[in-house]
Amino acid sequence: MKLLMILVGIIIAPLLGGLITKIKNDLRMRQGQSILQPYYNLAKYFNKGEVVSGTASWIFRIAPFVIFASALASLFYLGEFLALIFIFSLGRFFLSLAALDTGSTFGGMGSSREMFISSLSEPVACLACFAVSLQSGSTDLLAWKSFPLATISALIAGVALFLVMIAETARIPIDNQETHLELTMIHEAMILEYSGRSLALIELASYIRQMVWILIIAQVLLPVADPVGITGLPLILWGFWYAVRVILVAIVISLLEIAVAKMRLFRAVDFFGFGFVLAAIAALCAVLGY
Amino acid sequence: MPGTDLITIINNKQPNFKAIAVTIPYADEIVIQVKAEDFRKVCLVLHESLSSPVMAFFAVDDRQKQAKFTIYCYFLNIPQGQWVAVSLDIPSVDPYFDSLAKDIYSAHLFEREIWEMFGLEPRGNPDLRRLRLHDEVWPTGNYPLRKDFREIIAGEKKDYKFARVEGEGIFEVPVGPVHAGIIGPGHFRFSVAGEPIIHLESRLGFTHRGVEKLFEGKSLAAGLLLAECVSGDSVIAHSLAYSLAAEKIAGITIGKKTAYCRAIVLELERMYNHVNDIGGIALDVGFSFPAALAAIIKESILQANEKLTGSRYLKGMNKLGGISLEMNPEQQEELTAALSKIKEDFTALVEILDNSVSFVDRVDGTGTLKMEIAEDLGVLGLAGRAAGVKIDLRKHFPSLYHEAKHKIITGRAGDVLARLKVRIEEFNESGRLIAEFLNKISSAETEDSKINPVSGKALGYSEGWRGPVLYWLKTNPAGIIERCKITDPSFHNWPGLSYAVIGEIIPDFPLCNKSFDLSYAGNDL
Repeated sequence: MKLLMILVGIIIAPLLGGLITKIKNDLRMRQGQSILQPYYNLAKYFNKGEVVSGTASWIFRIAPFVIFASALASLFYLGEFLALIFIFSLGRFFLSLAALDTGSTFGGMGSSREMFISSLSEPVACLACFAVSLQSGSTDLLAWKSFPLATISALIAGVALFLVMIAETARIPIDNQETHLELTMIHEAMILEYSGRSLALIELASYIRQMVWILIIAQVLLPVADPVGITGLPLILWGFWYAVRVILVAIVISLLEIAVAKMRLFRAVDFFGFGFVLAAIAALCAVLGY
Repeated sequence: MPGTDLITIINNKQPNFKAIAVTIPYADEIVIQVKAEDFRKVCLVLHESLSSPVMAFFAVDDRQKQAKFTIYCYFLNIPQGQWVAVSLDIPSVDPYFDSLAKDIYSAHLFEREIWEMFGLEPRGNPDLRRLRLHDEVWPTGNYPLRKDFREIIAGEKKDYKFARVEGEGIFEVPVGPVHAGIIGPGHFRFSVAGEPIIHLESRLGFTHRGVEKLFEGKSLAAGLLLAECVSGDSVIAHSLAYSLAAEKIAGITIGKKTAYCRAIVLELERMYNHVNDIGGIALDVGFSFPAALAAIIKESILQANEKLTGSRYLKGMNKLGGISLEMNPEQQEELTAALSKIKEDFTALVEILDNSVSFVDRVDGTGTLKMEIAEDLGVLGLAGRAAGVKIDLRKHFPSLYHEAKHKIITGRAGDVLARLKVRIEEFNESGRLIAEFLNKISSAETEDSKINPVSGKALGYSEGWRGPVLYWLKTNPAGIIERCKITDPSFHNWPGLSYAVIGEIIPDFPLCNKSFDLSYAGNDL
């Protein structure tokens, strides 16, 4: 069952990326690419040869596998936030190392910025998750049971997690996936040196990571029960609602990306400061029982 | 003696100065020929008393006929609406002249250019590194703009030396000339302490095509086609500056209708470029919705261009002494209708930008170039006006713009926001000007003149969207171009960018860069 879930997760993850791009393009009055474009891209990368810098060491070569493995592990421990935070950190750590490894200008800049951002976002993520698990009594965020509406505490924590997700998935206002400006990149700067299969693995891992975050946020903000013991039409309705929540989160992400400009790099401190305050309030509410 | 008042000004500061000759070849140009020992002093006095940067500074190789080089240094006399040139003859043996660079910053790049292209040494200039002939490719001892240059002579090749900033925690970040986007090639060497930029040196010249040399030996008419290709986003600005120079030489005054048509296309060019840059600034901070809207507006202007002239980028319609634009009442109506739609969209665009806190936060106070620095560096055109430098050639020389009551639009802060605002206001002003011109054009008459081959030299100019574009032409009696000096505003303004980014962080450089939006092609020639 778990293996099936992981497989489905891998297959669906790029679709979510394609969906967000599609919504953004519609909002910008553009025809834009097909929702399936991420699959075409991945297929293309997998079929291409690789160029590896002569100065790169073994770290550069194994990093894509470690990153991809960490993404798979995140699907395996889906919702188990203590595990997730460490699993994601592992992937990020190797990506940053690999970016430094080639000695190119942009890799170093990307790594240093990524570390700067993650040092701010991780405390927010931890505190927000604690707030949720204080109420649910479990470290598994997907086991959060407060149906059909989330508690006040969970709602606030969900917003804080949303801010973290923005950074984790390299989106505006922290990072910009669409930019061509190498000097402003964070995530993209780190993977500039990758090509072919390695790039495909890293991209696929990014899609999976994004999907995991969206699933968690959807569950915290709009919780649903596990479909235990339901069959027939109710199961279909359940599946429908499960998907709609995810799409709703994707729409909010797209709207935000269209509505605001990317902020100055050092403004990220304020951004996550705000997130931390939210998470702290959420924890307080959780203790008080709201 | 002509130009007495100017000579009086110079004599007040330099009582012993006597010019070799003072000529006024055209109403808007005065040439003061000086002795070698006076050259520097006269230029300093003019620079100060006219408060004008060096607008153009170049050499001419006259060795075939007179065994000498000549250098010309042009200043702008704003109150009189006149160009003031200081000319100096330099003997062909051991050629040198006294450098102005230590006192007039805006002369320094021109001097380096004269040195690399002609081998005339600006004695006293501390920085003689080449700009366009990269040392790794061009051996020393090659001076391609000399008349006797035929092919590259083998010789010593060197490495380029960047200015170095040293200290604990200072890193160098080399970027380019190949960039991630599809833009022009330029190499930027940042010295940074963490993210903040301490020093930026831009190394350009990668698109050097030898344009000035290409002009030589062409007829005036053929030169016009080349002028349109010098910088692809400033077709009309270059075309008009060139044709003005050629028309001055040939003694032609253009008809009123031609003048109106030219002014209209010049403003159309300004509009599409300004809205393009406004969109570019939004895009560079990841604000993609207004960027998409700006792209739509730009496209409508390009389509209006095509309907009016047959060319989206306004190529091929300007001629010497005339313009091949019919401008019949239908076309005028179409243009008016298109512009009113464009104005509507533009107002919406400006509103979105103004009302976005996240956007204004990014552009406000970013990439500040103060007025004193802008004046010292000789930053011109749009970037200069955003800092408060009131130079706009449309205003300083008698033209249609006076009748239309054109206002110079300036900012004060000199940051990205100021440059954005100047663009927005100039866009609106251009729309207004076009409407004014269209009102009057119906009463104007058509008259085309033919250019006859004559010898002469003259300076042509126009205020393009980026700033003043200058063409200095010299022809022989057969009407063949002997020397063409092009000065694109980008050449003046690149140093301004280097100053504007000091203290900013690296990720903000692209934004500052876009707000200047300087041309590589126009600079590298």
